[in-house]
Amino acid sequence: MNLPEELRYSAEHEWVAVDGVRARIGITDFAQDQLGDVVYVELPSVGANVLAHASCAEVESTKSVSEIYSPVSGTVVEVNDALGDTPEQVNGDPYGAGWIFVVEMADPSEVDALLDAAAYRALVS
Amino acid sequence: MTGAWILVDDLAAAPGGPPDAAGQMDADLAMLDAVAAGGPPVLRLYRWDPPALSLGRFQPEDDVDHAACAARGVEVVRRPTGGRALLHGADLTYSAAFPQPPGDAGRVDALYEWLAGGLIAGLARLGVHAAVARNDGPAGPVCFAGQQGADLRVGERKLCGSAQVRRDGAVLQHGSVLLRRLPFDELDLVHARPGDRPVEEARAHLRATTVTLEELGAPTDPGVVAEALVEGFASGLDLQFTSRVARPTA
Repeated sequence: MNLPEELRYSAEHEWVAVDGVRARIGITDFAQDQLGDVVYVELPSVGANVLAHASCAEVESTKSVSEIYSPVSGTVVEVNDALGDTPEQVNGDPYGAGWIFVVEMADPSEVDALLDAAAYRALVS
Repeated sequence: MTGAWILVDDLAAAPGGPPDAAGQMDADLAMLDAVAAGGPPVLRLYRWDPPALSLGRFQPEDDVDHAACAARGVEVVRRPTGGRALLHGADLTYSAAFPQPPGDAGRVDALYEWLAGGLIAGLARLGVHAAVARNDGPAGPVCFAGQQGADLRVGERKLCGSAQVRRDGAVLQHGSVLLRRLPFDELDLVHARPGDRPVEEARAHLRATTVTLEELGAPTDPGVVAEALVEGFASGLDLQFTSRVARPTA
């Protein structure tokens, strides 16, 4: 299971890459493996306000639909429109081209409550 | 996942008839939400009257020929689960809501395989020897036109299609076992897409790659089939149905 050390993780199986007040978010390698082949991602809307640990997007894999939860609160400022044509990037490159959305955080200290790679690994092992 | 479950027998006719298609989906989602809130796992069995065409959660709305559905008295409803269009009315539908198990046991494919054990055990009680289907990959607009690992086949023909949704730590899986055929099928109710095979060729393919309990010479009485499935879930998955309730009558 690929768990980059520099990322933070939520118990709902999202990863967060922090850059100042911006948080780039996707689902973990563990999550994509659990779901199987991703065929569609329902992205949040740019400008939408999201709350930490509340559902804000959905992903459909082979005959299964799962919710995606924002690990942090704030405003969605960017979404990965390329997933419209290539949703399989969520499987093939979950921490890279498979990113899903970017949140401008209302309270960056929320990141401190997220898991580091070791803690997330313990959660899913 | 083993242990005490609630069984909801929604086959019995209630005053006012069964819920409409939207009501059936609301009932399934209520089960999911109840489990997510800490309630016990639930198995529900139900039928659809009048017939209904259910669409996958994100299936394009313009797949549906609404005029054709209305002309045949077919309701159209969107499922909370994935997958493609499925015609209900001559099927028996099961829905199971339960907590998502941790680790690899919670994988989508693992849960399909687990519940398939109950369905296969139930169908065996009807003399039907089903197996988990091969995976054809992404499907066209009609659910039963393709097979995926979530489905059950007899020989090479699909008998049961299933789909899942997961939220807040809970899983809902529902699926249809074909009892018999209606005088029309999904291809009468959806628009062909560019590049699709001609409709009669598609219909011949659908007929050739699916099978009903009636065609297998198995019982088709919904009550009999439901009882076999319940026994299959209990024995195949080691579930105890500690309470059995009928749908509340309004």
